[in-house]
Amino acid sequence: MAEYVGIDLGTTLSGLAYLKPDGNPEIVPNADGERLTPSVVFFESHEDVKLVGSAARDGGEPDRTIFQIKRYMDDPEHLVEIDGKKWTPAEISALILSKLKRDCSKICGDINEVVITVPANFNELARKSTIAAAEMAGMKVRRLVNEPTAAAVYYAHSQGVKGRILVFDMGGGTLDTTILDVDGDSIKILTSEGARHLGGSNFDDILLEAYEEQYKKQTGAALYSGERHRRRVLQATEDAKKMLSKLQRVNDTVANDTNSGIARIDLSRDQFEKMIRNMLTRSVFLVEQALDSAKLKPSDIDHVVLVGGSTRIPKVKSMLEKIFGKTPKSCGNVDECVALGAALFAKKSSRIQEVCNASYGTLAMVYNAKTKEEKLMNSIVIPKNTPIPCSRTQVYQTSEDNERVIEVDITQGEDEDAKFVDVIGRLTLDVPPNRPKGCEVAVTFSYDENQRVRALVVDKQSGRSKEVAVTYKGAGVLSDEELKRRSHHLRAMRIE
Amino acid sequence: MFKILKSLSKSLGSSAKATEAKPAAAKEGTLLDKVSKVSAAAAKAEPPKSPEEMCGITPKMSKDEVKAQLKLLFRRYNRSASSLDAKLRNEADRMLDAIVQMREKHFGEI
Repeated sequence: MAEYVGIDLGTTLSGLAYLKPDGNPEIVPNADGERLTPSVVFFESHEDVKLVGSAARDGGEPDRTIFQIKRYMDDPEHLVEIDGKKWTPAEISALILSKLKRDCSKICGDINEVVITVPANFNELARKSTIAAAEMAGMKVRRLVNEPTAAAVYYAHSQGVKGRILVFDMGGGTLDTTILDVDGDSIKILTSEGARHLGGSNFDDILLEAYEEQYKKQTGAALYSGERHRRRVLQATEDAKKMLSKLQRVNDTVANDTNSGIARIDLSRDQFEKMIRNMLTRSVFLVEQALDSAKLKPSDIDHVVLVGGSTRIPKVKSMLEKIFGKTPKSCGNVDECVALGAALFAKKSSRIQEVCNASYGTLAMVYNAKTKEEKLMNSIVIPKNTPIPCSRTQVYQTSEDNERVIEVDITQGEDEDAKFVDVIGRLTLDVPPNRPKGCEVAVTFSYDENQRVRALVVDKQSGRSKEVAVTYKGAGVLSDEELKRRSHHLRAMRIE
Repeated sequence: MFKILKSLSKSLGSSAKATEAKPAAAKEGTLLDKVSKVSAAAAKAEPPKSPEEMCGITPKMSKDEVKAQLKLLFRRYNRSASSLDAKLRNEADRMLDAIVQMREKHFGEI
């Protein structure tokens, strides 16, 4: 049995690694002989089989092929309908995980427990969906770990570095930035910041628009009329993007699917860099945000580490070099280090000091004595990036006479403005009648090593209290019974 | 400055029974909900705004003030891009574009 297994469930590629007896992690290839499996699922119409990986990506019908499902892990309304059955993002992800489990266990032994990586900014629902996907695939999730944390663990292990590291992880769909202190085997995360929809596939989409424009200009026709051809051109833009990381200029020819002629695409690296400048500026903001969160300056960073396929873009490297005044280093194979780090994390988690992924608090009317204004605000009890485990208490006062029930909205998010945070739960506490306003209520949040959050509300006057696990239970979360039923169904499927 | 716990319950009869943490959907009718609805309605009626207006950047602001404002907005809307609220996610993308435009205008291209 493989005891320590890590899985990088990526937007475009997924990989599984296990820890060998000598303590080094190794990527386990799938049954097709590939070290990484494209995160693509094809629902075959002639045979009762689900294809996962390259076979699914390179052929088949677009209407039955699912790409980049990870982008929808927190969207309860995103359902994929195939042959009358509606598939949730968690179920599609479960098919990818099943392929990895089934294929890789033939090489490394049975896989029962895993560490799965997620983007640093994955919200509560996306994290829950990831755990549900693993359970449906027949694996227990030992821990979820942020992708840049896993990559940093691998970097520290393989390079034997010491000092303060900034990990810049730009993958297929997300950008994560983590700052951590490394001293031998001991790792202390200082902050993790993430940005959604900022990765290689966004660059492909931008290039696709440029191809469309060029084609229209040269032929007067649209480049594609259906999804099948759009996918083909998208693949061509991805290839062009990769070439532009090696060459200053690429030439390509494209045709549409209605015989309107051929157009010649001439693209320089400079043009490409201009096209993605908006995205890269966002990534600079994120780096600055991480530095601010950790109260650091660029000069305080000893090593800048690149992770993820999109960090092969030369502009990404030069941009970071300009900020930090030092050359960023690659974390070995930038596509594999997250899975490798996850396998290491499975064993070393007790030596890794993590921080809260988000701020937790409650909605409160806050009175400003200076302006004499009262405003509904998000009052943070545990700030993001607090080292875990931790516990924090804030005391509030009731706002009205004769309140019989105290209601505490549980929020997730850093903003003081209540509009910009998620209310992920509510806790209610019955209190005795006939009390004036201004009774004190203590709200305590605790965050443990397994990233489980608990909320405790204590009415100080009556001593009554209530404690609950803070967990998102809204739309998109499957009940235990439903999860069990779908797991059973999925395990009986043919997945190749 | 002190904090008052927001509590909408005025009598036992009008409140839900004490129970475990409830989903976000349960917030319908809360003060936050009303605040959000008012903001959304106001936004609908307004004409399109320039990036300066969207970011609250005025000509009188110093470079440091502009930088601080853009950092605050980026933190807010980058987080909103992962919100559980789909409307907020859409708004976030427009705001992030405006924030980038303002940065390039005031501090140059990367």
